[in-house]
Amino acid sequence: MADEAEIFSQLKQAVMEGDEDVAVAAAQAAVAAGVDPQRAIIEGLAAGMAEMGRLYEREECYVPELLVSSEALYAGLGVLRPLVIASGKAEKKGVAVIGVVQGDIHDIGKNLVKMMLEVNGIEVHDLGRDVDMERFITATQETQADLLCLSALMTTTMIAIKDYMPAFKTQLPGVKIMVGGAPLNQQLADEWGADGYGENAVEAARVAVRLLETK
Amino acid sequence: MWRETMTSGERMAALMRGERPDRVPVIPFLSGHAAVVCGQPIARISDDAEESFRCQLLCQEMYGHDGSPLYAYASAGGWEFGGEIEFPVKKYSGAVIVTRTPIQTEDDVYTLKVPEDVSKAGALPIALALARKQAEHGLPITLQIGAPLTWAGSVIGEERMMGWLIKKPELVHIVLDKVSQFLIKVAEHYVKEFGAERLLAFHGAATETNKLISPKQFETFSLPYLQRINQACLGLGVGSYFIHICGEQNKNLKFWQQVPMTKQTVISVGREVDLTTVMELFPEQIVAGNVDPTLIQEGRAEAVLAQCRECIEKAMYHKGGFVLMAGCDVPPHAPPVNVFQMVKAAREYGRY
Repeated sequence: MADEAEIFSQLKQAVMEGDEDVAVAAAQAAVAAGVDPQRAIIEGLAAGMAEMGRLYEREECYVPELLVSSEALYAGLGVLRPLVIASGKAEKKGVAVIGVVQGDIHDIGKNLVKMMLEVNGIEVHDLGRDVDMERFITATQETQADLLCLSALMTTTMIAIKDYMPAFKTQLPGVKIMVGGAPLNQQLADEWGADGYGENAVEAARVAVRLLETK
Repeated sequence: MWRETMTSGERMAALMRGERPDRVPVIPFLSGHAAVVCGQPIARISDDAEESFRCQLLCQEMYGHDGSPLYAYASAGGWEFGGEIEFPVKKYSGAVIVTRTPIQTEDDVYTLKVPEDVSKAGALPIALALARKQAEHGLPITLQIGAPLTWAGSVIGEERMMGWLIKKPELVHIVLDKVSQFLIKVAEHYVKEFGAERLLAFHGAATETNKLISPKQFETFSLPYLQRINQACLGLGVGSYFIHICGEQNKNLKFWQQVPMTKQTVISVGREVDLTTVMELFPEQIVAGNVDPTLIQEGRAEAVLAQCRECIEKAMYHKGGFVLMAGCDVPPHAPPVNVFQMVKAAREYGRY
């Protein structure tokens, strides 16, 4: 179907250009043309975001562009996702809980990781920022999450991750734990017993998918 | 046995004159840590000028470092323009955070007011009280004059501002203009109260990192306002500057070169920026850096010492002078013995 390819291209382009209106219009066009909404998401919106991720990794775009693209992505998803859910055909690779640790309110990175996880078909429960250990544990248990993602931007608050880890290990058996944020690195993630670390949102999503595949 | 032949004050004065002191000066970059080692809540560093000054001075005495007390924090701007902040009172909190930005909507940009009396705006009364203590003790008098985009982020909200850089750039420029007006007024106030000669104007440039914005965005949104503020300060006779180029800013460095500054300017960089690069780009200025704060927090003393040595050996003979410094604020609960490694390294490996 020629129209389908055209619609996918429009969705992808709308995300890459950060144009919410075009994303909504293209999503509505997809619905009107009877395009499978799940495919419209994957081959249109998510493909655009994946391309932005590649540009980000090559330092050809930066956080402002990613954020604007994510707004367009969510605008398009607002049209298409309810249809996928209603169809009962929603596929998910896993469930993740994400949040910024106690004492920290820097959440741009966390929001980008959340978005990239969703783009990769992971259901994400976002606890927001300034999240204490108990809330992480309760939310992970309640949602039966496979993955727990912790973010900290400051050297002060990153210590929370280190402190939380023993309780996570005992109270959340089988849950994969990922960490990230400016002051962290792979070595600290390993030392503290995390299962994964992402230097940026794109990498984090890649690691998350890998962890879920090997779970 | 080698002994120091200068006091901290003499050492820093020699550095600022472009002379070689007895050893590499050390400004560890301590804020909350100074409160912790004095048994005080971290918040005292930012909410109480008297206690902040006392803790910082005692901490300097204990470590034997060369950084005199100052007042600054990274999220400045939000409170000054009418927002709300929270001092670091919660568990794991290490710095002031903006809990409600003055700008919530696009309309707020147009109604945002530059405070009439800067001396009463936000944290300025505390900063000025600490400055008076600096004056009493004959120390450099520090004033925070930016960086403007970081301030604008605290006024607008970081994430909102990131989106506006693309979609509503004119709104960001309006805020940057008002922030610049405010910061220049602050500089004028300090000059009037303390005189220009002893002032040390400080930029903390965090939002400018290339982890967030592109070099092109830096050129568009940061550089013109940095130039405007520094030009105004130079016009007021402020001769000394301290510019903390926080985090990954390698692609911004060529633009930082275009910011007006004197030789008496300390260019401080994070671990992400190589000291050699900074030395090449700023041959006349004092280069400072760049011990990894995460290493100071989590590493063993031996590893911290080794990294300090590496920094010293790389930069101690820089033409403009060198200060051993952490790449960013030392975590408040860093092991004191790790912080001390900076002074130890300067004494061992940084003798001139």
